[in-house]
Amino acid sequence: MTESLIGFAAVLVLVLLRIPIAFAMGFVGMIGFMLETSFRASISMVARLIIDTSQDYGLSVIPLFILMGLFVNKGGISRELYAASNAFMGHFRGGLAMATIVACGGFAAISGSSLATAATMAKVAMPEMRRFGYADSLSTASIAAGGTLGILIPPSVILVIYGLLTETSIGKLFVAGIVPGLLGIVLYLAAVRFFVWRAPEAGPAGPHAPWSGRLRALRDVWAVLLLFFLVIGGLYGLFDVPPLNLNFSPTEAAGMGAMGAFLIALARRRLNFRQTLEVLQETAITAASLFAVLIGAWIFSNFVNIAGLPGALNDLVTAYNLQPWQVMAFILLIYIALGCIFESLSMLLLTVPIFFPLVTSLGYDPIWFGIVVVVVTEISLITPPVGLNVFVLKGVVGNVPTSTIFRGVTPFWLVDIVRLFLLLAIPALALYLPSQM
Amino acid sequence: MMRLLSLLARIPGFLASLALFVLMVLTFTDVVLRSVLNAPIEIASDLTRLLMAIMVFSVLPVLSARGAHVSVDLLDLLFYRLNIARWRDAAVDLFCGAILVWPARRVFDLAERSRSYGDTMEYLGLPLFYIGWFIALMTAITAAILIVRGLLLIFMPRLVEENI
Repeated sequence: MTESLIGFAAVLVLVLLRIPIAFAMGFVGMIGFMLETSFRASISMVARLIIDTSQDYGLSVIPLFILMGLFVNKGGISRELYAASNAFMGHFRGGLAMATIVACGGFAAISGSSLATAATMAKVAMPEMRRFGYADSLSTASIAAGGTLGILIPPSVILVIYGLLTETSIGKLFVAGIVPGLLGIVLYLAAVRFFVWRAPEAGPAGPHAPWSGRLRALRDVWAVLLLFFLVIGGLYGLFDVPPLNLNFSPTEAAGMGAMGAFLIALARRRLNFRQTLEVLQETAITAASLFAVLIGAWIFSNFVNIAGLPGALNDLVTAYNLQPWQVMAFILLIYIALGCIFESLSMLLLTVPIFFPLVTSLGYDPIWFGIVVVVVTEISLITPPVGLNVFVLKGVVGNVPTSTIFRGVTPFWLVDIVRLFLLLAIPALALYLPSQM
Repeated sequence: MMRLLSLLARIPGFLASLALFVLMVLTFTDVVLRSVLNAPIEIASDLTRLLMAIMVFSVLPVLSARGAHVSVDLLDLLFYRLNIARWRDAAVDLFCGAILVWPARRVFDLAERSRSYGDTMEYLGLPLFYIGWFIALMTAITAAILIVRGLLLIFMPRLVEENI
């Protein structure tokens, strides 16, 4: 127990010194493992992990999903999604902000990254909301909050990482994220309505779009929405009926998605050879950095396991006679606190090796815990004073004070807390769909 | 000379891109052939693993040279204010490079061992030690790049800032 805690503290210090997370966790894990066993055994463990991880078939899901997101992005989907949701919602009070949320949800479904969603949508939605005289607090907050939808709605890179770290089914995790993700959109829309009910001048209604305009806007997004439906439907087993018999593993779904996105972008003449090469290379680099981080996390988790941390934590729970819900509440508090320092990926990597064995031994469902963890890290992304989405947004928008954005974000943050409690109270919100697979 | 160097520097990225593109087309084709013609590509899973290793390890040096590893920049402002950011970056690079040396050597040893056993990929029949060699080589190159980058940050900081 003590060794693990010292190890964890050492990782925190190294990480704050800006040593890459992969190296910090790998180094501490390697040294710790060495102290528990021997130099030779430790180096061999690390070398084996390096060799095996890079050749793990299941891990190919990572580059393929990233690739899908980047290809779709090149096709200019963010602008089109925004135009489409705007055509349907723009005439409501606060409608542009609501359209932003929906477009973020749609874009998130494709991109799988909160920061990317916030940064991309900021460029598209911010000028439009400014033009219609929206208050900066509402417009920035709806983008920052909408961006956090990115890490829950499938395909989500964070859920893939969680699934790989804990050997939980990625397909089931994706499907489990759907209802909580949609719930997030609905609650955010309610938050916008609440905002403009309190301050009507913050979000004036836009013009009514005629039905012809609405259909035209839909014509630009249907291909991508269909692709998304195919990928997730294939994972869920929707098409596993004769004569199709299509049943995807996550890797295959990702491959189909990437290829489909590539073909769509080609068909729209949004992609030349040079851009394709750029997208491929960017994907490879991002994927390699995630692989490095995964190897580091595995090394570290091998160390805490051999040091007996899971058993020690269980003993602690028994010794203090703690109820499972008390343990869960404690863990969630730690997450919210960590959210003031780390972005979601680092948080997940640092904590899951420690908490996951404990949580499952208390009888919680691994898939449900994955969704809860992702929702909590989402909340941390917009939590004052250091929510990362807010700072990314500030970087893109520029001249809006951080305090204004945080003030605007408060209602969204509150409904996020509501969603967390709903998930805790009703696990079926996440677990019903995957149980039908 | 510089042109040759910059050309060389592009090879890993190009190789990784090619591997990734083939991986995408392969996965797609495999699914289509399997479900439509009921004729899956037998070597698909072996090929996938090979392509992944090529993709990840060919860009690992690029990733490291760019300093693009996932890291936490919470205290950056403090380091900049104290004017020690450069020294910190140099120390981090040297540290990361140094701790990669042992694993790189061990990967090479393991590859040698699998060569003496004659391990091959199940369907593709490719000897596994080739992949092991490649991984060891690229890990060693990554270590070297990190160490050189660290030294350059100490002695010729301009060179790093201009090129990255």
